[in-house]
Amino acid sequence: MRILLIIALALLPTASVLAETPSDAATYQGIGSKGYVWNKLTPERAEALRLKGDMDRGREAFRGCRGCHKQDAFGRVDGIYPRLTGQYASVIIKQLTDIRAGLRLNPKMEPFISPDAVSVEEIADIAVFLSSLTTIKENGKGPGDQVRQGEALYVQRGCIKCHGSRGEGNEEKIYPALGAQHYSYLLREMELIKVGARGNSHPDMVVALKEISTADMEALADYLARLPDRRQAGMK
Amino acid sequence: MTPNESISACSLRHRRAVRVIESFLLLMLAISIPLVVPIAARAEGAPNPLCAGCHMEDGNSVTPDFPKIAGLDAAYISKQIMDFKKFKRVSEIMGPMATQISDSEIDALAMYYSKQKRTPGVVTDKNLAEQGQLIYTDGIVNSAVPACSGCHGEKGEGTDKFPRLAGQHTAYLNTQMSNFKNIVRNNDARGVMRAITLRMTDQEMKAASEYIASLKGE
Repeated sequence: MRILLIIALALLPTASVLAETPSDAATYQGIGSKGYVWNKLTPERAEALRLKGDMDRGREAFRGCRGCHKQDAFGRVDGIYPRLTGQYASVIIKQLTDIRAGLRLNPKMEPFISPDAVSVEEIADIAVFLSSLTTIKENGKGPGDQVRQGEALYVQRGCIKCHGSRGEGNEEKIYPALGAQHYSYLLREMELIKVGARGNSHPDMVVALKEISTADMEALADYLARLPDRRQAGMK
Repeated sequence: MTPNESISACSLRHRRAVRVIESFLLLMLAISIPLVVPIAARAEGAPNPLCAGCHMEDGNSVTPDFPKIAGLDAAYISKQIMDFKKFKRVSEIMGPMATQISDSEIDALAMYYSKQKRTPGVVTDKNLAEQGQLIYTDGIVNSAVPACSGCHGEKGEGTDKFPRLAGQHTAYLNTQMSNFKNIVRNNDARGVMRAITLRMTDQEMKAASEYIASLKGE
């Protein structure tokens, strides 16, 4: 009996090592980890920003994304896949390289954006291509009865400071344009950011959303989904 | 054990045996036909009678296990032949065949078959084809399967990198998808088809194939 106990104790460290599956926990550098900088310039992002993307090559490379994001990068109105039409190149590049760096976890997309599937050059190309798209179609909207409440929250909670008076964002500061995005996608991402599950988010976003109820997020999404595309709003 | 499982368990050995015999017969067919048809094939202008044996002179094979190659992009055909030659794409039939094609012949061959018109495919199960239409045009949201149309085109027309699928034999499509899924075929340069088929059930692959057979490519 004692021998068994000794053996069991001897094996314990081994067992605990085995139990600890090699997760990304040790290498994860996303939000919540020590020294996290939301816009840290990863080597790959620096490279993608340095390269001059090409529109035609981008159109061709984006073919591999159309199965989900659709022909004109419009995504799905049910919000399962976001509308990428006209999003800033700086934002596209950050999201794609952050997904590859394991900062933003996206297992659905991982095989299609892995370095095997898409080169850094193609990331730059895709970003230029997407930012130039101007197709305007009916996006996924919310119920529409909370637009005024959402607008008030947008101002009160300071969203307006970064995302702009018409949800146009800021290319230079890598703040995404939000106007005409699908309602369900906006809501889902806000919820993910709130609980720290969107690994590459701005810490201020987490702080802002922490204090907000789900009902408030619904109102915000209702408002944002009804804002125009940044180009319709007269922004460049 | 469900009835299906018991059937598959009991007949596994039998099915394997059938598969071996099938492969053998196909190989025999593949070898024997070129010996019979070269003169006719040459008369039609096909650059190499070896291909016409299975794929026919106009690239529209009539045997469901052999793909229609008519109307595929020339660059795509060239790449596949090179891959067969270098065993990057492994096929017990096409491997030995491809080694008999000289590198200098490949481009002319590819050009010839790319210019042939593809014949319409045969849909065997209309209900399944309807289910397949959803998969082809919209993907499968729950398992994050992208729509086939994203790369292969709304009408299955394809490009130089993504093959033309329209009108292809369902049997061949099913084999290729399951080959990607089981990594028997791994010459999809970016691993995209392997990733996609890994998320698909056999039933979903069959449904997609049925719909693809109905596509016209234009």
